[in-house]
Amino acid sequence: MTEYYTRMGDGKRVLMSKDAIFADLVAGSADAADMGGIPDLTSAEIEKLFEIISDKNRVVGVEPGNEVVLTYDIGQLDFTGDNGNSGNGVDVGRLESALLHERALGADTFELAHADYSIKPVKPVISNEMQTMEEIQNEIVAPYFYGAMPNMGLYYKPDGPYGNPADLMREYKIEEAMDQAEKAAVHLARDIEYVSTRLVAAGADGFNFDTTASAGDADCVGTLNGVKALRKACPDTYINVGMSGESVMGIHGMIEFEGQVVAGLYPHQQVKLAEKAGANVFGAVVNTNTSKSLAWNLARSVAFTKVCVEKSSIPVHANMGMGVGGIPMCETAPIDAVTRCNKAMVEIAKVDGI
Amino acid sequence: MGDTAGMAVPHFMASGMGGIRTAGDLVARMEYSKNMKVDKAKDYVAKKLGLSTLEIADEYIMRELREELKIGVVTGVPGAPRGIAAKMNIEKLLDIKINSCEKFRGMLKN
Amino acid sequence: MNNEKQELYDAMIAYKVPGIQAAVDKARKAGMSPEEIIENLGLGMTEVGVLFERGKLFLPHVLSAAAGMKSAMDVLGPEMLKNGTASAVKASVVMGTVEGDVHDIGKSICSTMLQCAGFDVHDLGRDVPKGDFIKEIKGGCKMCGMSALMTTTMTVQKDVIEMLKAEGIRDQVKVMVGGAPVTQAYCDKIGADVYGESASETTRKAKELKI
Repeated sequence: MTEYYTRMGDGKRVLMSKDAIFADLVAGSADAADMGGIPDLTSAEIEKLFEIISDKNRVVGVEPGNEVVLTYDIGQLDFTGDNGNSGNGVDVGRLESALLHERALGADTFELAHADYSIKPVKPVISNEMQTMEEIQNEIVAPYFYGAMPNMGLYYKPDGPYGNPADLMREYKIEEAMDQAEKAAVHLARDIEYVSTRLVAAGADGFNFDTTASAGDADCVGTLNGVKALRKACPDTYINVGMSGESVMGIHGMIEFEGQVVAGLYPHQQVKLAEKAGANVFGAVVNTNTSKSLAWNLARSVAFTKVCVEKSSIPVHANMGMGVGGIPMCETAPIDAVTRCNKAMVEIAKVDGI
Repeated sequence: MGDTAGMAVPHFMASGMGGIRTAGDLVARMEYSKNMKVDKAKDYVAKKLGLSTLEIADEYIMRELREELKIGVVTGVPGAPRGIAAKMNIEKLLDIKINSCEKFRGMLKN
Repeated sequence: MNNEKQELYDAMIAYKVPGIQAAVDKARKAGMSPEEIIENLGLGMTEVGVLFERGKLFLPHVLSAAAGMKSAMDVLGPEMLKNGTASAVKASVVMGTVEGDVHDIGKSICSTMLQCAGFDVHDLGRDVPKGDFIKEIKGGCKMCGMSALMTTTMTVQKDVIEMLKAEGIRDQVKVMVGGAPVTQAYCDKIGADVYGESASETTRKAKELKI
């Protein structure tokens, strides 16, 4: 029986038969359908996914004419990489990094980032960030954003003034936990407005909100309210809202944005809230399960993302980094897996960008 | 994320528009400034450049055209506009406003 | 009796404390043993964890179900002691995000799920000095859960395991590891006992250890 080299979700190379790959493709799609209440991939789409996965070439790509926008997040940290994000450990400056991404790495957009990559620590150094933004805007041609994670965890004790909801919940202080999360969300929205409007005033093309909702549903609401405030203050700025996971974690459980409970929403539902808040582009995330195969993960990711693209009125960019979008959770992601996920996301899910 | 050679480069090779090597930055600007989905954004840029949507991702065509239009080229060409100057030309080409250019104009003394 | 079993399971999934109490009362009146009641409530609690992971239930619901479980234990625990049957309290678990890493959410949810499953959880928070895990294990914790969210801090999980070996107490404790960059292969490589892909998977595996 013919067997094909493919990967597991942790990046390990494995041999699988055609039947086994098909079974995992169907199961991955079914898992997304079950979790998200969305349609399964069609048999033609499963067949196309199999063709992509079983391609004998090491690297695959889209057909000419099917290219999409390629954006980069995390700023210079992919080179410097001192915060556990698998960067190269090269202490390159932010101007050099911006120009290298534009001129050597084919970036259609790029961004400036603080070393911590969170909104909160930018506040005390906002003038530095504004000056660097002004400086780099003088040199760069491609759209140049400011990027940061809302990271509402920094607003909870011991980093911030509010009680940690997960800890309070363990003590059965459920109402207090919810109250603290709501207060933190208001604080986060205020900080987002403060930081983002100043960077736009310094010439930023826009703001990239990366890993929205990493601290759960209140983080999501705080971010969306911050986005709304930014949109009101800067009607023409570019806003990218990227998520942290496929489902919004219900730490609060009932907190709402524009009358909609956000906990438990999947990408095709999240995007509608991002639209309402005023985002121009939505960054869909689907998590990789390291114990499952590339086939299972990719079918699942494509199923979720495809529906998100269909439901969205704004462009959707798939988050395609380590451990998301079907890509294995592996520091040195195997390029065979990365290019297969890329092609599938563009040609089957029909994303507007990566 | 992931290491640059394993993440950035393969994505660029597999499906990237090409940034300022081609017309990727222009298509991105239309997605973000007008909420255009990729096909519409490519169509808009292609029309403005007088090319087909296939041609706007073609390095051979775009290398010369970018230099002629003075909208920034990917290689180091002395005298070729970059930064704000290139973006001011992009504003005219795409019929959009670019924030950094607006700020730059705002800093000039009348 | 099957009806009562189903009602206990359903009451947990409905996560309302009065409903859980009513199902427990009914089961007791029908002659079900405390152990059997707890077992069926436990099955419901496991499903609550799965529903949380799948975004169908949220943390307050999980805690409400856990509060129902706790209220049932307040009644059943003394009864079990009187009968001389085994204590329903599972092993003590020390939990924490490793030194140098301030990510808290995933670990906290995992601690919550373990607590809901009946474990005695000692959550040390985040950025936990290596020695603090060792202290808790020497103090009687039979399980040690370490979270790391960064590729630069996941190596601390290995450091703690090496410290346990150096102290001669590696065999006294089951080590569980998790966090975004951690995988089963990494767990195997550093000699940990359990890898948890998610909070509910970790809890399920912790229960299977039967400590």
